[in-house]
Amino acid sequence: MKDIAGTVSCIDGSTFIVSDTSGDVEASAATPVGLFAADTRFLSRWVLTVNGERLTALSVDDSQYYEVAFFVVPGGQVDYVQADMSAIRRRRIGADMTELLTIFNYGEEEVELDVRWEVAADFADIFDIKFDIRDKAGSHYTHVGPEELRLGYRRGTFRREASVSASEPATFDPTGLRFTPRLRPGERWSTELRVVMRALRPDGVDLRAPVRARRPDEDTLPESVRAWLAAAPTLDTENGALREVYHRSLVDLAALRFAPLSLGGASVPAAGLPWFMTLFGRDSLLTCLQTLPVTPSLATPTLRILASLQGARTDHVLEEDPGRILHELRYGESAAFEEQPHSPYYGTVDASPLFVVLLDEYERWSGDAALVRELEPEARAALAWIDEYADLTSTGYVWYERRNQVTGLENQCWKDSWDSISYADGRLPGFPRATCEVQGYAYDAKIRAARLARTFWDDPAYADRLEREAAALYERFNRDFWLDDRGYYALALDHDGTPVDSLTSNIGHLLWSGIVPPERAGRVAAHLMGPALFSGWGVRTLAEGQRRYNPLGYHNGTVWPFDNSFIAWGLRRYGFAAEAGRIAEGIIDAATYFQGRLPEAFGGFDRHVTRYPVRYPTAGSPQAWSSGACPLLIRTMLGIDPHEDHLAVNPALPPAFDRIALLDIPGRWGRVDAFARHRPSQPAPDDGHHPASSVE
Amino acid sequence: MTATGAFFEQLAAVGHEPRLCKVHGRVRFDIRDGDQVERWLLDIDHGRLRITRDDGPAGTVITVSAEVAEAMSRGEMNGLAGIARGEIQVDGDLGLALRVGRLFPAPPDSRRALPDRGR
Repeated sequence: MKDIAGTVSCIDGSTFIVSDTSGDVEASAATPVGLFAADTRFLSRWVLTVNGERLTALSVDDSQYYEVAFFVVPGGQVDYVQADMSAIRRRRIGADMTELLTIFNYGEEEVELDVRWEVAADFADIFDIKFDIRDKAGSHYTHVGPEELRLGYRRGTFRREASVSASEPATFDPTGLRFTPRLRPGERWSTELRVVMRALRPDGVDLRAPVRARRPDEDTLPESVRAWLAAAPTLDTENGALREVYHRSLVDLAALRFAPLSLGGASVPAAGLPWFMTLFGRDSLLTCLQTLPVTPSLATPTLRILASLQGARTDHVLEEDPGRILHELRYGESAAFEEQPHSPYYGTVDASPLFVVLLDEYERWSGDAALVRELEPEARAALAWIDEYADLTSTGYVWYERRNQVTGLENQCWKDSWDSISYADGRLPGFPRATCEVQGYAYDAKIRAARLARTFWDDPAYADRLEREAAALYERFNRDFWLDDRGYYALALDHDGTPVDSLTSNIGHLLWSGIVPPERAGRVAAHLMGPALFSGWGVRTLAEGQRRYNPLGYHNGTVWPFDNSFIAWGLRRYGFAAEAGRIAEGIIDAATYFQGRLPEAFGGFDRHVTRYPVRYPTAGSPQAWSSGACPLLIRTMLGIDPHEDHLAVNPALPPAFDRIALLDIPGRWGRVDAFARHRPSQPAPDDGHHPASSVE
Repeated sequence: MTATGAFFEQLAAVGHEPRLCKVHGRVRFDIRDGDQVERWLLDIDHGRLRITRDDGPAGTVITVSAEVAEAMSRGEMNGLAGIARGEIQVDGDLGLALRVGRLFPAPPDSRRALPDRGR
């Protein structure tokens, strides 16, 4: 995996290592390379030399996300002439890390080698790296034993420790370990290094021990990935790019699965490498929504863990309120000492409505009524939060204004960078703010919760109330956010109710949520597909022509695959199949420039100008909701949707795809297939049937 | 009485906690003060709560110092941060411990809140 330029990563959930292409780690304070677990860097230096020389990779095999093999020879690339000696570093990540080094002597002489690993651990918190904080409050310690090197960090009762040991006799010193093997001509020599990462309590118990106990051991990990892939529907298409992206997406979703300690072993998606390798409310909920047709097993544990950590009281630092669904959960030093508010942080306004949306959508697919009943109190509390805590101006909208003025997020919607919400002329609105897409989510949550209340909670009065509230919100929203002279919805309302008038991708989410009257949808769709927003690859976050537009602006002009997948879904909902198809084509095409792996975001440059999608410099990759984009785009093109106990299919393939078949789609119907292919001589059917198959 | 004692006495007096309506299990708090260990055993049966000063077995044991217990009982301790820091030691079901942790009071506003924006 080579997504940060010149790096190779190896991932197992929230544990990962990012190294250079020869396998070495030389971290500086502000670069996210090294070995990480629990938001902490356990190795900041991991450099292999043979006879004092660094090694250079001839090739790297990273076809498995949890394992990477570096084929290396001594010397730098420039002065490499001939290699009598070569080596393989085979690294595998699980709860801990192992690295098997095998050295081959193809020369004619017997050699005695000086094999040396330089090892250091700075125990940087991921936020130390993000904000380039170099002074640590605690102290480092080193213990050199006959069979291990232990590097540790202690701050009061907080203790983290990396232990390095080897399968062959080695000499350990405070900065590494050394082997002196002797190899005859044609001989090979191997040793396996193990790096164990511990989060130690004062009584010596390792907080990470349950992670180690639950993770499959080295030999079962490949089997668990095979089982994961086998459980997902099979994609049959003539389009090689789509096949590649679909496979890559499934594998990356497997890579990002992690089992939070409080969940008894069930896996939820971590948000993305390298900055977001933990639980995020919004990211995990949207990823589950995208992937319900292919990997529905993520949804139940995600809903359960978010329910179990749902806000229960009022805390201004964590921005916690009763019923609020969390934004971000961390275990590192900055969270432990409350220098960052991530234990957990609740500063998001969309996770609460999206929690309800996912619960309903999951039931529609799975028929899992028991989960809907189990999570009834949490769903009600999330809905109550919308009305009682989020309506900061008593105007009937979901607003945000951070209460944690030091480390809280200014923007608590998905575009959460500081300058993401602006007027067309570039001015930043005041606080509180109410962004448009969140009102759509709240509307959708109420409509869906009304169905749940009527069908499963035996509370028709509550259902009626939710529907009345949703209808009133629809009315109000379409009065206050609609800019009739422009033909689109305002990005947000300013604190005094003034519409924030910039043209953004957010309006696409409104189609997904169903809050747009059909007679307005055409104008919204035209903007989404117009040259100001549509780059040729996808819909930009912010339209060209807006003052803050920058094709490399994180939320101000880049194209986000996840965003586009929801926009395409929304367009399809309103009958704009061709427009949804153009987005699907563009995003899948773009993925081919990233080896099938859609990054968090890429540049918003016009496709005709750059001819390829420009990499966004610090984009996360893999990123869970980017991996979720392909499954949702396939769903959109096939037009698959649960209707009571069967799966309806209403395909609309764009020209780039002749045939798409998704086989063995799991759900309340058991497993069914969905087919789509071009057959221009026949009119497109307007509804699907069971068994799900159709033509266009 | 200590804040800790008052907190558990109050829970015992109420005897019912709707926030634990899905929970079934026994959680014991071992509160260490020098050589002394003060124990509170919570027997939770789907919201019904029986609290005793018992050292009987429990599936989940939460070990803290008296000082930390006082901070928790006054609402001055973030449970997850305390666990990550090693000040709150949980053996057994961490999910259950987190649910029980929600019974502790919210932070006193004046102490945890950051300066108001001055609107």
